[in-house]
Amino acid sequence: MGPGRHALRRFRRDRAALAYVVVFAVLMLAFLAAPLYASLVAGTTPSDNHLTEPVGVNGEPQFVVSTDGVPIGPTWQPDFFLGADQNGRDLMVRLLYGGRTSVLIGACAIALTVVIATPLALAAGYFRGRTDSIVSRLLDLIWSFPALLLGVLLSTVLALSGAQIGPITIQAGAKVIPMTVIGIVYVPYLARPLRGQVLALRPQPFVEAARAGGMSSPRVMSSELLPHLWTTILVLTPLLFANAVVLESALSFLAAGVRPPEPSFGVLISAGLDNVVLAPHMLIAVSIALTLFVVSLSGIAEGIRRAFDTQAVDLVHGQ
Amino acid sequence: MIAFAGRRLAWALVTAVLASVVTFVLFWTIPDEKFSLAWRLGGAERGNEATRARAADKYGLDDPLPVQYERLMKEILSGEVNCFNGCDPTETNALSQPESVRAAFIEALPVTLSLVAGAGVIAIGLGLWLALICVRDRGGRLDRLVSAAATAAYSVPSLVLAALLWGFVAYRWELLPLDGYVPLTENPFEWFRHLLLPWIAAALPFAGAYAQVVRASLLETIGQDHVRTARAKGLSERRVLRRHVLRNGLIPPMNIWGLDFSHAFGGYVLYVEVIFGLPGVGLLTAASLFSLDLPPIIALAIYLSIVVVVASALVDIAVAYLDPRIRRSGIPTT
Repeated sequence: MGPGRHALRRFRRDRAALAYVVVFAVLMLAFLAAPLYASLVAGTTPSDNHLTEPVGVNGEPQFVVSTDGVPIGPTWQPDFFLGADQNGRDLMVRLLYGGRTSVLIGACAIALTVVIATPLALAAGYFRGRTDSIVSRLLDLIWSFPALLLGVLLSTVLALSGAQIGPITIQAGAKVIPMTVIGIVYVPYLARPLRGQVLALRPQPFVEAARAGGMSSPRVMSSELLPHLWTTILVLTPLLFANAVVLESALSFLAAGVRPPEPSFGVLISAGLDNVVLAPHMLIAVSIALTLFVVSLSGIAEGIRRAFDTQAVDLVHGQ
Repeated sequence: MIAFAGRRLAWALVTAVLASVVTFVLFWTIPDEKFSLAWRLGGAERGNEATRARAADKYGLDDPLPVQYERLMKEILSGEVNCFNGCDPTETNALSQPESVRAAFIEALPVTLSLVAGAGVIAIGLGLWLALICVRDRGGRLDRLVSAAATAAYSVPSLVLAALLWGFVAYRWELLPLDGYVPLTENPFEWFRHLLLPWIAAALPFAGAYAQVVRASLLETIGQDHVRTARAKGLSERRVLRRHVLRNGLIPPMNIWGLDFSHAFGGYVLYVEVIFGLPGVGLLTAASLFSLDLPPIIALAIYLSIVVVVASALVDIAVAYLDPRIRRSGIPTT
């Protein structure tokens, strides 16, 4: 029985981890089903405003946004389940769409991180010497700068130069920008532990045997070394994913990520803060959603770590 | 020790220079005329080809890049870069005079230092205290309870915490000041009142993370031979914990504290200061980002990177002073 299957078995017996998986799965399903919810349940879109429409609450008609400019609070019924925002938009619909955007950006960013970091780590640890020192110095350089500052600067540059990069046209505010930026920023957080692991594996007999057997370097890396790295990648990815979603919200909050009216966690937090006196439900709703998401992901990460029984990796939230 | 400090500072210098080169090149690639760095550094002189040519002539925009880099760095470091509409982010008067970014940065730095240092002290103190509770009761119910609480604290993003604290405690319930800052030397009590919520928002997630990291590190130390020897000598549990476990067990977390401390200057500072209206370097940076005022953005990025690099070098030197093993291993990787 391989270590993977062993870990899976332990993970399945871990009640706490399974509870987090359930929370995470429910959230993900809800985010993914945002368009379904919008059209079938709420009967609106994230950008439709219903400022002047009355909505029936307990049989009594009420304005979505009162004449004093106060948006309606949670109605706990299909339309305006969580109430409305300052523009009379359905908050639940916006929250689901926002979660969808943030999670999509986070997931793509981390996929990018894995795709960049793994080959870098393999090359650095396998070739050692000059390759390693160049890669390591590069990683150190990125690592020594705060993720948020780096993200903000990169986003600003990309958004401004966005007009055209070769054949690709990027519009300011495109989701590709935060995706790329976050993906790059987290590369050292994954590549450094992986490089250390490859360095430790490199002198072992099975690597030498593969080389002596005439295997080419890329093949040694992909078929002999890479399989040993999956555990680390698996343990770190959920944490990085959570961090990526948090970083996205901070970037969008600082107007360097997703831009309104397109909703995302950061955009919704910003709107919630602006309307905290008239419509506190806006801030509360997005806070609960984002926190639940991060809590469930770190719970899963902790469960995976326990299942593989590896040492806690000193991955501190890179905000 | 001195050799180590010298090496570490030299590496800090190299990092700062590399960072400034990267920043320069990044911003130089912005093609859009309207926003081009060269253009903006030319001040208001944008428009047709003739003014472009005049600006290029006056500011040397057609010089080779290294020459331009050197000139830009000189301007930034000597404080000649100005904010287009004045640097005070709390002042919305568009007619205010251009102001030196360096002067504004230096004025804002104490605010940010108060925030970062206070939050750091709270995070480390709280984390250490919680970890000690866990270690004394290792494996027990209290241990599990505190560990779970630490995980929860660590998982609440500080952006959310800051938004909730400001929105409810300061704005809706009016328990603490809405925004602004009072220097410590002027009125310590008001200084504390203005910084309390920002400190909590910034420190709580870190405290949770530290509690776990320190707990893990102490538990690892507690199982080591020298601790068993200390116990066998008949030392009291208190003495064992303080002299043998804490001293060694605190070294690994110290590297993380150092990294977080230096990262704070370009991390949570940005949104915490925006939310709480603290006139520090984070708010300054965010304000120039919002108005897309490029020269100050670049200058601030360079100033911030200098602060980050110096802070991390100082912390590394402090850690090396406490742990002689690091001194010999050359440049630490964190």
